[in-house]
Amino acid sequence: MTDLFQYVPGNSPLHRMNPVTKIVLTVSVCAAAFLTDNLLVLLFLLVFDFMIGITAGAARKAFSVFRGLFRVSVFLFILQTLFVRRGNRLFWIVTDEGLLTAAAVVLRLLVVCLPLTLVLTVTRVSDIAGALVQVLRVPYPYAFTLTTAIRFIPQFMEEMSGIMEAQTARGVEFDTRNPIKKLGMLLPLCAPLLISSVRRTGATATAAEVRGFYLRTWESGCRKYGFGPVDLAAALICAALIAGAVLIP
Amino acid sequence: MIEIQSLTFRYEGADRDALRDVTLTVPDGAFLGIIGPAGAGKTTLAHAIGGIIPHAVRGDFYGAVRVNGSDTAETRLTDLSRMVGTVFQDVESQIISSVVEDELLYGLENFGVPRDEIEERLTFALEQVGIAPLRHRTVSSLSGGQRQKVAIASLVALRPGILVLDEPTGELDPFSSRQVFSLLRTLNREYGMTIVAVEQKIMLLCEFADRLAVLSEGRIAREGTVRQVLCDIRALEEIGVNCPRAALFSSLLAEKTGAEVPVCVNAEEAVEAARRVLG
Repeated sequence: MTDLFQYVPGNSPLHRMNPVTKIVLTVSVCAAAFLTDNLLVLLFLLVFDFMIGITAGAARKAFSVFRGLFRVSVFLFILQTLFVRRGNRLFWIVTDEGLLTAAAVVLRLLVVCLPLTLVLTVTRVSDIAGALVQVLRVPYPYAFTLTTAIRFIPQFMEEMSGIMEAQTARGVEFDTRNPIKKLGMLLPLCAPLLISSVRRTGATATAAEVRGFYLRTWESGCRKYGFGPVDLAAALICAALIAGAVLIP
Repeated sequence: MIEIQSLTFRYEGADRDALRDVTLTVPDGAFLGIIGPAGAGKTTLAHAIGGIIPHAVRGDFYGAVRVNGSDTAETRLTDLSRMVGTVFQDVESQIISSVVEDELLYGLENFGVPRDEIEERLTFALEQVGIAPLRHRTVSSLSGGQRQKVAIASLVALRPGILVLDEPTGELDPFSSRQVFSLLRTLNREYGMTIVAVEQKIMLLCEFADRLAVLSEGRIAREGTVRQVLCDIRALEEIGVNCPRAALFSSLLAEKTGAEVPVCVNAEEAVEAARRVLG
C-alpha cells in the first residue's frame, strides 16, 4: 500500500508527457466523470483509466488501486441502493433508479481515484513542482507544499505501520477481524502520529531552508518542461473526453 | 572561521541549559571532531554553528556565534547556508525529493550554480560518496545507510566553505563510515573545506580529524589536537567517552612501566611504543 504513490521510472509516452499535461488529463478525466450520469460513458472512462495504466507500465498498480477500493465501493453501493428510493421497486426497498445511481457513484469513485494514483506513478514529484512553477508560474512555496504533502503520504503510512507493528509486538491485537475494535485501537495512535508528523514537517522545512528554499524562483530549475506531440494528443483526448461526457445523454 | 563566544542555549520549556558558556574557535581549513556522551549538547552545538539555532529552534540564546565574521543570530538562515552546509542527524527529515538525483539537484538549483557546472558537481558528489549507481533510484527504495549517503552527497555537491555533520555515520557500516570520513578528509585537504563532525565513533575521529572537542553537560570539557585530548584518558572516561584502545594501551603502558610513552591513536603506534618500551 505504501508504494501506491511512488514514482516508477520508465520511458512510456506518459512518462515523457509534460507534467502539466498529465495534471490537465487527470482533471479532465475527473471532470468528465462528474459531468456524466451515463453508465456506459463512466465504464468507458474506467477502461480508459486502465489503458493509461497499461500504457504507463503500471497495470498492476491500477489493479491494486481497484482492489484497495473494492470494499469501499461495495459499502457505497449498498448505501446508495438503500437510500435512493426513487424509481420502480425491484425487490424489498431496492429500486431500479437506486441501483443505477449506486453503480454510477461507484464507477465515478473508481474513475476519479485511478488517474490521481497513476499520475504520481509516471511523474517525479519534483517534476510536478518544477512544471507548476515553470509553466504555470505557481509560486514555489505553494508547489513545494503540494509536492511535500504528496511525498509525505507513504512516509506517514510507513510510520503508522511501524507504530502498529511495535504495538503488536507488545500484545495489541491489531490483527483482529472486528473493524470496530480495530478502529478503537487505531484512534489512540493518531496523536503520536500527528505529533511526529508535525515534528518531521518542521525539520523538513528547515532542511529546505538551509538548501536555499527562499532563493528559488521559476527560473531556478535546470530541467525544461516543453510541450511535444504527445502533449497535443493528450490535449485532444482531454477535449474529446469532456465533449463526450457533456454531449452523450 | 567559526567563532563561538560564551554561548549558552536552553530549549524552550527545558529545565536546564543544553549548552553552557561554550567558547570555541574553529580556524579555516580545520577538521574538528566533537565527541561526548548522549545529552552533552553535541547536536545543539552543531545546530548553533549552522544557524538552525536560533533561527529554526526556539529557546533562550545568549552569547554569539560568528561564521566568517557574520553573526548567525543576525544573518538570515538562507544566507548562512551559503557558507555552512549542515547534515542533520535525522536523515529522513533532511531528504526533500523522491529521487536521488533530484535531491542533489535541489540545492544546486536553488543556489544558482551555473548549469554547465551542475553535472560535474553532481557526478563528483555521487562518486565520492559511493552512490553513483543509485542516481536514478527513488529514495523510498534505499536503505537507511544509503539515505544517509544521499544526505551527505547533497551537501557535498554544494561545496560550502564549512560542512557541519551531525553523526554522519550513524546508520553506516564500518566500511561506509571510513569511506565517508575519507571523503571528508579529501574535502578538507584538497578543497580547504572546514569540517565539523559530531561523531560517536571516536576511532574515526582520531584517525581523520585534526582537533577534538569533548562536550560534557553542555560545556567544552577538553579541546585541542587529538593527542592533546587523549592524553588524559581517565578524565575522558569519567565524562563517558570511550577512548581508542591504542590510547588506553599507551596510557597503561606509561602507568605500569613508568616510561614516557606518547599517546597512541592507532594499532601501529601502539605496537611501536610497546617495542620501544618493553624491548
